[in-house]
Amino acid sequence: MDYISLVILGCAVVTFIPRLIPALFVDKINFSPKFEKFLNLIPYTALAALICPGVLTVDSQLWYIGLIGAVVAAGLAWKKVPMGAIVILTVVVLITVYSIVPFF
Amino acid sequence: MGDFAISRKAKFFDGCKKGIPITFGYVPMGIGYAAIAMKAGFTPLQTISMSFLVYAGAGQIIAASMALSGATLMAIILTNFVVNLRYFVMSTCVLNKIEDSNIPLNILAAHVTVDESFAMFSLSEDSSIWIYLGIAITAWLSWCLGAAIGVFTLNLLPVIVTNSFNISLYALFVAILIPAIKENRQIALLVLITAVLNIILSQFLGNWSLIVSTLVGAGIGMYIVDDEYLLSGDD
Repeated sequence: MDYISLVILGCAVVTFIPRLIPALFVDKINFSPKFEKFLNLIPYTALAALICPGVLTVDSQLWYIGLIGAVVAAGLAWKKVPMGAIVILTVVVLITVYSIVPFF
Repeated sequence: MGDFAISRKAKFFDGCKKGIPITFGYVPMGIGYAAIAMKAGFTPLQTISMSFLVYAGAGQIIAASMALSGATLMAIILTNFVVNLRYFVMSTCVLNKIEDSNIPLNILAAHVTVDESFAMFSLSEDSSIWIYLGIAITAWLSWCLGAAIGVFTLNLLPVIVTNSFNISLYALFVAILIPAIKENRQIALLVLITAVLNIILSQFLGNWSLIVSTLVGAGIGMYIVDDEYLLSGDD
């Protein structure tokens, strides 16, 4: 099997197992409150680590493209714009930016 | 018995309706994922089947980006495991809340558990498995649809459009984080610390910095975030 098929298969297995365990043992699982807190914090830290510095590599040549996108998305989210609209509007802003860039 | 079947169907479609707002985010995001996967050398079939089999927005984008940068298989899989470990918590919360279910349905429900389906079901008053499956399967299929649209249209679209789709997942990450940051200064501080930590560590650890920063960040969070600020999941 090629490298990419193995990547997909491996990711499918390691993603499914954590989802599956509660389905089989939902009545028997009891975490310590401390471990539960640790697990609950992971989404925030994972998102933070996913965004920084990855967002700057959205365009491998123009680092500020990702920064502009992140600032636009953050501004819209701050104004409580619905999530789907944030994604679409941010993409539209970047298309506009890309159309303007060649003029500088 | 007949009435029971009808109410299950009604609940499922009710759930599908609730899931529609998620699809507005997932379709463009799925196109963005397809753009990265194709760039990393995935075939169209591989691109779509990853969305179907793995079904993890961030996890898939990370895996595709890592494959693009030539990371080892082990590094990609381990990173995916850590990034997607949060589904363990979400799946536990969802399955604790679900009623009128059985093991096969639980397994299906577990596979389609992601941040958005979990959040939407947590807010739902009705805790029937059929509502949950309606929400979550709608989201799942829209994610696969986005990948399929991406695979078949990316070659037709101008480069500036496909490049712009690369931002969609980050836009979604930001959209999920901002409300939490806005509401809670301790979470905001933790996000800032983790971001800086990852910027520094990525200089030394490369692809591994994501796992290390996520875990170390959560460890730091144990001390700086008060318990009552956390989403406990049980509503």
